[in-house]
Order: sequence, then C-alpha cells, then structure tokens
Amino acid sequence: MQSDLIAEVEETLKRIQSQKGVQGIIIINAEGIPIKSTLDNSSTVQYAGLLHQLVMKTRSTVRDLDPQNDLTFLRVRSKKNEIMIAPDKDYFLIVIQNPSD
Amino acid sequence: MTQKTARSKKPSSKVAPSSRATNVSTSGFLRVSHSRTHSRSINASMSRRSFSLAGDGRVLEKAPMQPARATVKVFDENGTDVTPQPLYRPDPAAVPPRQSKILMAQDVSGATFSDFFSSAFHTTYASFGGPFTRSLFESSIVSKSSQSTMESLNEEIEEPSSKREGIISLSDVQVRREEVKEPTTEDVLNKKVDIHLTETETLCLLDIPATSVSVESEEAEIVKQRNAAYTELCKNRMGNDKYVERAMQTFNGAPKAKEVQTKSITKVDAAITATNWDIYDTLSGTGVEGVVREPPETEESNLLDIMSNHSQESSRNLERSMSFLSHTPSSSSSRTEMEVFLVPVEDAPAPEVILYSEKFQQDLLVMEKVVLQNIFQPKLAAYRQLPILKDPDSTQKPKDTGKTEKQIQKTEDIPSSPALEPLWSFTCELTVGRNVSSMTWNKMNPDLLAVGYGHFDFEDQKSGLVCCWSLKNLKWPDRIFHCESAVTALDFSGHNGCLLAVGMHNGSIATYNVQSKEKTPITDSSEYPHKHTGPVWQVKWVSQERAHSEEEKGEALVSVSADGRICKWVLKKDLDCVDLMKLKRTKSERTRRQLGERERRSELVIWREVPGLCFDFHPEDSNIYLTGTEEGFIHKCSCSYNEQYLETYKEHKGPVYQITWSPFSPDVFLSCSSDWTIQLWRQDLLEPVLVFTSPCMAVFDVAWSPKWATVFGVVTEKRLEIWDLGASILDPTIVQDARPGVKLTSLQFASESDCILLGDSDGQVGVYQLNLNLGEGTQVNKTENTQMKCYT
Repeated sequence: MQSDLIAEVEETLKRIQSQKGVQGIIIINAEGIPIKSTLDNSSTVQYAGLLHQLVMKTRSTVRDLDPQNDLTFLRVRSKKNEIMIAPDKDYFLIVIQNPSD
Repeated sequence: MTQKTARSKKPSSKVAPSSRATNVSTSGFLRVSHSRTHSRSINASMSRRSFSLAGDGRVLEKAPMQPARATVKVFDENGTDVTPQPLYRPDPAAVPPRQSKILMAQDVSGATFSDFFSSAFHTTYASFGGPFTRSLFESSIVSKSSQSTMESLNEEIEEPSSKREGIISLSDVQVRREEVKEPTTEDVLNKKVDIHLTETETLCLLDIPATSVSVESEEAEIVKQRNAAYTELCKNRMGNDKYVERAMQTFNGAPKAKEVQTKSITKVDAAITATNWDIYDTLSGTGVEGVVREPPETEESNLLDIMSNHSQESSRNLERSMSFLSHTPSSSSSRTEMEVFLVPVEDAPAPEVILYSEKFQQDLLVMEKVVLQNIFQPKLAAYRQLPILKDPDSTQKPKDTGKTEKQIQKTEDIPSSPALEPLWSFTCELTVGRNVSSMTWNKMNPDLLAVGYGHFDFEDQKSGLVCCWSLKNLKWPDRIFHCESAVTALDFSGHNGCLLAVGMHNGSIATYNVQSKEKTPITDSSEYPHKHTGPVWQVKWVSQERAHSEEEKGEALVSVSADGRICKWVLKKDLDCVDLMKLKRTKSERTRRQLGERERRSELVIWREVPGLCFDFHPEDSNIYLTGTEEGFIHKCSCSYNEQYLETYKEHKGPVYQITWSPFSPDVFLSCSSDWTIQLWRQDLLEPVLVFTSPCMAVFDVAWSPKWATVFGVVTEKRLEIWDLGASILDPTIVQDARPGVKLTSLQFASESDCILLGDSDGQVGVYQLNLNLGEGTQVNKTENTQMKCYT
C-alpha cells in the first residue's frame, strides 16, 4: 500500500509538472523549509519564505473572521503567472503556472 | 566695662593675621609663647572647631565663655581710651547652641572687618563680641597664618606703647600686650607709623539693652550677686577643668566598596498573541496540547529528541505554533539556538511522511485539477458547466464562465450552420488503443463520466478497463479499474451515485464503489453459478417502484447478455451478489422466439436463446421494457410476465444494437441496427414511423438528445450524425467524420450541456459542443407533428 501510494504520488507530481504552463512545483514543510522542488534553489527558497508568511497571514485572517472556518486553497493570480497553494497543517504544496503559455 | 567689653571671646580665627586663639594665660613672654602654643593649640582647636560646627556647639559656646579676661585697650594719640565698645555682650547661659552658628556667621563678618583692620596694623577696635570672634570655617587657613600673625602680633604686642593698636578680640592677647609693652617701646618708637582711622557702619546685630536695677531695689542684691558670679565664672573659666575645650569629630564610616557577583539572571520573554481563532481552538479543545507550550526546560531536555519526536508531534497544530509564544531568553547562546527552532521544529514531520501521506495525495490531485482548469478554462467554460467536486467538502469557486459564456453566446448569436465544435477529448496513455465500448454519466454528479474499454470482437480480448473521468481533470481519470475481461456495459446507479455496474465480456457483472479508492469491485458475479454465460451487452439500474415483495424496493440491476437472459440482480447484502431473478426461465425463456421455435420445430436448434443486445426500460413505467435481439426483433416485455412478450416489433433485418425511448415523448423510441437503418417507432404501432438510413454502414449507437426533442445522434462506424427531425427527416443535420483509422463506437449526450461525447476505437472520448441554434426546451409537439406528418 505504501509503495503504491508513493508511486501514485510520484506519478501525479510528474503529471502536474508536465502540464502546460507549469513553471514549478514546490513542497515546503511546516516551517517553510522546502522539501521538494522543481525550481532552482534560490527561487525555491525565495518562494518558500514569502509564501509561507502569506499563507499564515491568510489562514489567520480566514480563521479570525470565523474560527470554525479554515483555509483550503489559495490562488494568487498575477500578470505573469498564477501561484496556487494548497496549505495543510504539515506542508504547503505550491504550483506556479503560466496558463497563457 | 570697657575692658570687659573689650574682652573678646574668641580668637577671631578668621582671616588671618589677627586670628589668635588664646584664651590663655596671662602673663609674660613665656606665657606668651606658652600662650602661643596654647594659642596654637587652641587655634588648632579652634580650627577644629570650625570644622565641626554642629558638634561643637556647646564647646563653641563654651569657648566664648572662656574669655581672656584681659581687656584690650585702645588708646589714641591723646591717650583717650577709644576702645570700642563691644557690639555684643553675650549671656553665655542664655545662648542656645543653635544660635552659635548664626552668630558665628555673623562673627565672620564682624571678624573680617576687624581682622582686616588689625592686619593692616591699624588701630582698631577690637571687634569684640565673642561671637564675632568665634572660629569659623576658615580657621584652618587662618591657623597657619594665624600662627605667623600671632608671632607678628606678638611682636607688635611687645611694643610698649599702648598706642599700638591692640589685637582684636583676645583678651589674652591684650594681656600679653600689656606685658610686652615695655621692652619694645624704645625700638618701635622711632618708627613712623601710619595710622588710618576709618569708621565702619554701625551694625546692630543684637541689642540687648542692659537692664539696670536700682541699687535700692530688692533685686539689687540678687543682680549684684549674679554679676559677681558671672565675673567669677568668666575668670574661672580659663584653667578650669570644668570647661575644657574639646573637639569632636564624627566618624564618617569609611566607605568600602564591596562587590557582589551573581549569576546572570535568566530572563525569558514570553509573548503570546491571542487571535480569534486561537481562542476558539483553545476553548474547543483542539488546542489542548499545544496552546500552552511547555516551559523551556523540557525543551532543553528534548534537544536531542526533537528530531525523533517528529512523528509523534506531527499532530500538533502548526498554526498554533506560529501564532504565539515566542520565547526570547536572555541567556546563553546555546539555549537561544534551541529556542529559535523551538516553535517550529516540534511540529515538523519528516519529509517522507509528508510526501507520502494521503492528504498530500489528495492535495496533489486537487492541484492537478486546478492546474488543468487553468489550462482548459475556456473549453470548460464552453462546456458551460459549473463543476462540482465529487468530494463532499467542495468549496470550489465557480469558474469565471460568465465572461467566456458571453463570448460564446455572441458567437452563437451569429446564425451559423449547425456545427460540432470539438472541445477536448478524454484520453490518456492507459486508454490508448483500447476500444471504447460504453459510456455513462453519473446520475448524481453530472461531471463524472464512466467509460468502459473493451473490444467487441471475440478475437482480441484484452483485459478490460473502466475509467472514471471527471470534468475537472481532463488528462487523467479519477478512477481506474482494471477488469478481467473486456468491459461491454456500464451503468451508474441512480439511487446510489457511487455504484457503478460493469458488465463484461465474460459474462460477469461487477459493481464498484467509485467513491473509495478501492480497486476491487464490491460485488462480482464471476463466481456466481447463474451468472451470464455470454457477454453482457447491457446493464442498467432500474428503480423498482412496484416491487414484488418488500425487499425489492429500491434499485435493481438488470442485465441482458448474449446467453439470452435478461436478469435482474438484486443486491440484498452488499457483499454478495445475490439472487438474480430471471426474467426468462431456463426452460422456456422469453427470448425464445418464433424463429427459435420454428427452428426447433423444423431443424436442430442450436440455440434456444437468442442473444439480447439491448434493452431499455420505459421512462415512466418501469415495468415495461423493450429489448432488442440479435435477430432484429424488438420485443416489448413486462416484468410481470416472464414468458411472453407484449409486443414484437419486427422490422430490422439485423441485430438491433440500441433501443432508446425518447425522453420527451413517452411512446416514441428509436432503434438502430446493423442493417444500416435507424427506425423511429411509436409504441402502439408495429411499423416504424420513420426510417432513417445511413450510407452503407452499421449503426452502432443511437441516442436522443436530452435537451431537444427532435434531435438525436447516431454513430456509425465512420461517422457521427446528428439528426434534427424538425429540420429534416431525410438527412442528418450534422455529419462528422471520424478520424482516419478510427472507428466510432459509442455516443453519449451530456445532460446539462450541449455537448456530445464520442467514443472511438482508439480509446478517445471526444467532447464536442453541439451548436444547433435551436431554442431551448422540449419540442414535443414538434415531434408529434412530425410523426403525424410522416405517419400520414
């Protein structure tokens, strides 16, 4: 089972990476340290640090408004690309995509 | 009196020269010296006195009480006694110690003047008044000089003439002066001395007028006695042991610097930010473990264990750790190091644990969908649906279909010829090369599509595959089920949206639960003894309204297979595939038909049963269904009758591949067969109302459009045809050719959209948008009109 899961995860990651316009995938753990990344190191660290804070702030905001609520997904659309973040209590999954490519 | 007045108490320590202290003795040079010394000592004492004013109050007081009784007489040239009167005549007894200071201050001033003058060797008045002459602060300075002055004064004193100005204040000095006068007279007489006389202002500091008592009064005696006593007292004061000058000095405690060293005090700043959700968490108990962090000591001990505790502490809520409790100890660096990592490290599980957790997998899938939505956003918008996640916790925002919809509508407003617009196709590497055999939409979630892959032919049988595609992920199916043999039929349950029934080429029927990730079917009829022995060509879930018994309420799975049986499967228990209720008896099956009978009668019967290829239940009456056989007959049957058909429609010349009731018109159904025809029937007519021919090709599939009453689609081997009966009954409205080399196999309309799904033999399910420029809504009347037209 575990190996199946591992294989599936790897496969899914590869699929995402191969989609059109995907610039990079970063997975950071709870403290903001990147675990896995398809970008170069400096970009990874930069993304990780900044987005970590952003997600914390967002989550805090959401929960402050209603403590029973919680953040499930965060998308930041900018001119050049879109950053999609799936936050969890143990990790953040970040995908940067440029859909118009 | 003058003497007395001239008597000066104190050596005017003051300024200088004339300061002398001596209340000493009386006579001669020796005495002088003695007095000098004494004076010195006294001077010293005076000087000391000056330092310790407070303590010496009394002493100081006494000092003035030890007057040198010798008076100073000042005589001018004429011998007149110009001895100045003392300004102050103290009453020793009455003078409180405190006053001494004040008086001393005054003394200073007084003494200064006098000192000045005397120092200038002027004749002066002795500035008397003990208080004036009391020692003062400067006495120390004075003392030295005073000694010298003393000597000089003494020298002066030795002048014989009384004309010499006396030294101020001291009566002692006066005494000395008197004695020393004679020897020096001759020497000094010749000198010329300038004498300047000036007069100071009159300062009246204290005026205690003398009280005079008449000699004759009663108090006279007392006063006299007192005066005498006082005189005596003053006299006795000099050598009296009772009156001893004593200087006091307070001991100032010697300051000693003492150092104390303590261990540096560890201070820890604990800060907490209480946010709204933080409070909520704490109250609701989810934050029980983590909210109040343990004090640093535990963390200290766990320094080494922190890494190993990852998994255990992964349950802690990260948010809590981030929101508060920042320890900032002021102690050693090692500790700070640990503290820095304290808050986050505790909660971080190992990367592998994260990466391969279920949650992560789910997140990945969601992310994939999001990414794909970004890519296919216009296409999906064209599909015009708001996708609903099949997961229960769906909070998906609707895509901004508004914009693109308008665009599409604009394009649609342009009256264009009916066309099929390709949107995308469901395909992945798994499905490439497989033949799409059936497709079905999920009844509960219209975004979910199940596609079965399997070859129709008997020859090349690969294992079957069922893929559940979601509109959200166009590139990879959400569920993949591998089946033993080729999949030939699929249907989603209407009651329970998760159940998918799969009919296979080997005759077995399996049901899968699509919601779970299980790859194995819930039920599988492979082992069931009464399973179908031929390929299951169609399965359908039918809701039983009229149940034969109470247990049969709900939904039943009906299947038709090539072994000639239409079976109803009822799942009593979830796990076992249960009783199947045969609609056809083994002996005398319904599908035995005339041909079969005939054959039986006439010739050897090879098969008693005729393979059934399709069936369709009446949309309103679930008891009635149509079934098409390989012979080309269409039978209308009822569930109540196991043996007999209600009707038989014989028109087709070849196997009837598909029968479908019209969703709008209750009596109308379509059938297609391999004899190149599609026939439109009415229930009560044994002849088809309309016949549509397709050019030389077997028609595999036919389907009514769920939206337009007069539209249906037809799939032949090489083409897709869309027929619009309202437009034309002779020709299809739209004709789409298949890609070269690919055969089209199945067709499905999308229920909530204008799209068609087209399956082909290459494993692709193409999605096309149908632009027919027809109005919305049913056009039942139109259909019927058309029918009437045709009929007549």
